Amino acid sequence: MSMPLLHESAVGHVTGEAQYIDDLSHPERLLAGRVVYGPHAHARVVTFDLTAARSIPGVRAVLSARDIPGENQVGPVVHDEVLLADDEVTFIGQAVFLIAADSDELCREAERAIAVEYEQLPAVLDLPSAMAAGALMGPPRRILRGDPAGAIGKALHRISGELETGAQEHWYLETQAALCVPAEDRRMLVYSSTQHPSETQTLVAEVLGWPRNAVEVEVRRLGGGFGGKETQANHTACWAAVLAHATGRPVKIRLFRDDDMIMTGKRHRFLSRYEAGFDAEGVLQGVAIELNSDGGATTDLSFAILERAMLHADNSYFVPDFGVTGSVWKTNLPSNTAFRGFGGPQGIAVMETIIDRIARTLGRDAAEIRRKNFYRAAPADTTHYGQVVEDNRLALIHDRLMASSGYTQRRAAVAAFNAGSAFVRRGIALTPVKFGISFTTTFLNQAGALVHIYTDGTVLVSHGGVEMGQGLHTKIRGIAAAELGIDPARVRVGATNTAKVPNTSATAASSGADLNGMAVRNAIDTIKTRMSAALSEKLSPGAGGEPSRAADLRFAAGRIVDSVHPERAITFDEAVRWLYLQRIGLSAAGFYSTPGIGWDRDAGRGTPFLYYAFGMAVSEVSVDLLTGAHTVERVDILHDVGDSLNPAIDRGQVEGGFVQGLGWCTTEEILWDARGTLMTHSPDTYKIPTAGDVPEDLRVALVDGVPNPHVIRNSKAVGEPPFMLALSVWLAIKDALSSIAGHTVEPQFSLPATRERIALEAERLRRLA
Amino acid sequence: MRDTIQFLVNGEPARIDLGPGSPWRPTTTVLQYLRAHPEYRGVKEGCAEGDCGACTVVLAEDGTDGALQYRAVDSCLLFLPTLHRKNLITIEGLRATDGALHPVQDAIVRHSGSQCGFCTPGIVMSLFALYHTAGVIGRHDVIDALAGNLCRCTGYRPVVDAALDSCAARGPDHFSAAEPGVLRALGAIPSDDMLIETETQAYCRPATLAFALRYRSIKPEAIIVNGATDVALRVTKRHEQLASVLDLSGIAELRSLRVSPAAIDAGAGVTIEELRRVATGRIPALAEMLSVFGSRQIRNVATLGGNLGTGSPIGDTLPVLLALEATVSVSGPRGERAVPIQDFFTGYRSTACAPDEIIVAVHIPIPPQGTDVRAIKVSRRKELDISTVSAAMRLRTTGNGSVDEIVLAYGGMAATPQRASATEAFLSGKPWSRSTVEAAMDAVANDFAPLTDVRGSAQYRTLIARNVLLKFWAATDGKEGAAS
Repeated sequence: MSMPLLHESAVGHVTGEAQYIDDLSHPERLLAGRVVYGPHAHARVVTFDLTAARSIPGVRAVLSARDIPGENQVGPVVHDEVLLADDEVTFIGQAVFLIAADSDELCREAERAIAVEYEQLPAVLDLPSAMAAGALMGPPRRILRGDPAGAIGKALHRISGELETGAQEHWYLETQAALCVPAEDRRMLVYSSTQHPSETQTLVAEVLGWPRNAVEVEVRRLGGGFGGKETQANHTACWAAVLAHATGRPVKIRLFRDDDMIMTGKRHRFLSRYEAGFDAEGVLQGVAIELNSDGGATTDLSFAILERAMLHADNSYFVPDFGVTGSVWKTNLPSNTAFRGFGGPQGIAVMETIIDRIARTLGRDAAEIRRKNFYRAAPADTTHYGQVVEDNRLALIHDRLMASSGYTQRRAAVAAFNAGSAFVRRGIALTPVKFGISFTTTFLNQAGALVHIYTDGTVLVSHGGVEMGQGLHTKIRGIAAAELGIDPARVRVGATNTAKVPNTSATAASSGADLNGMAVRNAIDTIKTRMSAALSEKLSPGAGGEPSRAADLRFAAGRIVDSVHPERAITFDEAVRWLYLQRIGLSAAGFYSTPGIGWDRDAGRGTPFLYYAFGMAVSEVSVDLLTGAHTVERVDILHDVGDSLNPAIDRGQVEGGFVQGLGWCTTEEILWDARGTLMTHSPDTYKIPTAGDVPEDLRVALVDGVPNPHVIRNSKAVGEPPFMLALSVWLAIKDALSSIAGHTVEPQFSLPATRERIALEAERLRRLA
Repeated sequence: MRDTIQFLVNGEPARIDLGPGSPWRPTTTVLQYLRAHPEYRGVKEGCAEGDCGACTVVLAEDGTDGALQYRAVDSCLLFLPTLHRKNLITIEGLRATDGALHPVQDAIVRHSGSQCGFCTPGIVMSLFALYHTAGVIGRHDVIDALAGNLCRCTGYRPVVDAALDSCAARGPDHFSAAEPGVLRALGAIPSDDMLIETETQAYCRPATLAFALRYRSIKPEAIIVNGATDVALRVTKRHEQLASVLDLSGIAELRSLRVSPAAIDAGAGVTIEELRRVATGRIPALAEMLSVFGSRQIRNVATLGGNLGTGSPIGDTLPVLLALEATVSVSGPRGERAVPIQDFFTGYRSTACAPDEIIVAVHIPIPPQGTDVRAIKVSRRKELDISTVSAAMRLRTTGNGSVDEIVLAYGGMAATPQRASATEAFLSGKPWSRSTVEAAMDAVANDFAPLTDVRGSAQYRTLIARNVLLKFWAATDGKEGAAS
């Protein structure tokens, strides 16, 4: 069943009435907060003097690491990340001092008055240097099935190569922001733009040296997150909290765009190596992949991200003998972090490169090679880590999309076009995605909810998930209304608050609706059980008649009806009023933990995912070989969301994810200079897609008739998987370049395919051709 | 001399005193001013440099035809004095008095055109200005109107659909009904010389050129702004307090725009968007370059004089003006003089305009029959980007197809926009053929030694400079490859 509900904040969005942290009413005596970072990628803090800065009238606090009342530690998994640098700075953008003052201008004046002396130390600024220096963040990881080296050695055809995939800036429209308000009784109210309120609460408590029950975190909405606020929103909240604690006054910090881009981590860039062996038909025999990620200065979520990359290095393909190793390397750059796909895109890009090369090697069409290698009947249904690919939709989606996109005819048309065109070439590619749904850190797969029914029949739902634009609250509203059988207009989803629902997981891993939707249903089931027990008595006809049974009561269309005796019914509102007078509890907490999953990280074996989401895209591009400019001519997407909870919202996730992936694949390039200074620190030089980059001919469809019985209302998660469909554009560009030398020479290709890379490679191929 | 600005906010009269003791500076941006007022926090700051459009507001003022003209602008790049005699429309003013959504708002809601919603107020304002633009609105117009608005969530498709839907059958909105009153109120505000002098700043916004020249002669150190889309960055990003500013945007004389069959004569205060419209159909190469100049919000404010005055090597108008053999008029105490554009740029961000002079106009000859002018901009992204390399060509061939006259002008290849003289000399008199052009591509390497920077490597720049010749050839030859 689908619920065509519009985004619960849509009217607030279009009128500007929807509030973000920086828009909240200013509490009395609010101070502006500012974070000061140093100019060196790696340096020792020799000495500093804050007296001059502190003596400026209107400057209320200037703090260093020594002034943190609790622990100077914000590492979310590994405790290797300080809130403020103490005696050493390890990247440009690392916070060293905090300032609170009556105005931003005074904060900047105080910053200029801080005297600090650094002694520069050698810095490691790229992956090859980190690898050469052996700068591992931790032990390498491995997942192995069979004997890849042996299988590759025995195969008829062998390829090997290296692939670089670039970093990516989240570019959420709302920069990192938090407002901390000290409250009576040593409490702190934190309004944070965080994807992980419980972790923000935990870390604020730890840096203040307080118990967690003294810190309340509230999140109404985020102006975009994309993973960038999963761990790295904590810092801003902690800085504001430390300043609020020091001054006893409310403090707000909103990072200036350039500071946000300089200080926070990105999608991990990867340097990957691969070897593959395949037969005359292009069927994979063995693959060995080595993934190397740039973790930045601290661990953050790097190992979980690496792990997801390793678990997705197969993408959609069965490889009998398959080995993936992965290492995270330490550099003097901001700590890289979660970003939509969470390593998945980096792993999948490697396997898609392998498949693309097989097709070129054999002179076959790549879509056909893909089809042959898809997971299929046993024993070719089991991943390299031992999970069986159940409810496999790959062949179904492939066949439907090949037909609906007219792939075969268009492939011929592209070839014909290229035969007659010297300077403009076309390319076409189909790529699939198979994305595992669940946190691979198993304990995170839990969620809580709190549902109140008020005596007028309206409902307030709280849950642990954060609304960041993905439409989670709208889906939850739809779920609650459907479960209670009432009009969605009667349901409000409240701000996410750690005092309402405790100990929650981040809204991440595409899991928001899956986990929280189940928890909300669980709470509603509890209330419905109570309601039904009491109502079955009320609806029963006194002596002599057959009594109504609680199990037969149905909640639908604003009424509660005995399904066996449909004439016995009561409106929801009337029922609620009556139940209140009968002293029946109309509020309940709910909980959910994903069943049946488990992952042995050390063995590289298990069932980390509850299910897989599938999708495919066919993209066609034209490339101007003389400038490197490309145009995406047409994109066809067919994506599997099970029974959609909300088709408009799901389509929005598919398209938005795809376009964000398009940016990663093409125009978005992060550049640091030789000192480790971010050169692309503003939208002036860092280019996310604009409206004109999106193809006019964009055909997006959701797969019909594929319910997902594992999840709330037979739906599927949708946040991340479509991001990876943009690899079809990347490979279509490669296909266009490949035509220059008649598809006989492998284009040297990395990601992103910027205009510069395209033009330079086109030139190289033109000279070879 | 006034130091108070008078304007309307969402139709209601407003004034800001900028004299000594004011909490505001003349270089306070409209965004900073609005964000300081709780009632205007629908206006968002996304980047404070005009690259994201989250802060988009609409300025309505008396157009040439006696009707209100609505322009979307980035409020982060707008100094307060530019509000004088304008109606500032913010997102808060869009609902009708009965609370009904404006048609563009309603369409975005219906098409699920918002996700996180942070960019949405800016998008609504850009589309609201589009709604008030005459003529049939097609997809191309919508994309152009949205080029200055970044959205990281939706992928834009539903926003474009909403725009097309709401603009398909436009009717009067509550702004239409209020127009006569707004025009009257704006008309009642005097347009006189503005001079704001505080302890730390002097800001002069004259109403006449004569006053501007007088002020210029007393204060040659004043930074000239005429739209300020470039200079504003020094305030919003580098937090400089500009000590002395001469703002030419209030001078009506500088906004004259005359067109004859032979030339476009544009005052220095003509906006890039106004020039683009006039160039369309008259000088296609110029129109094309101007259509990829910044975004609509920036083009609505940035001026031709400002773009020339910055003397930037990557100014988008410059190579094409070189190819068009434009002439720049500057005025000063010694009178007015005309400088051929190829003599105008004297070094990195320096020009032939003397410290006591002001750029007043540009004469842009329309190429005669038989002279072909082409231009191209290569940047990392199609829209709202600064060029890596831009180039323009002027070509006339003889009856037998050899090169009679050629100008090749490049931006992004040297410290100033510059002609490729060695390449021009090589091509002169030779047949305009693919083989000559391919041979000429090697000459480009002798003309330039470009730099590597964040927008592109020297190797890429050189390759583009070479390849552009081939593109021009293909375009003039009617062959494929002309598309940018």
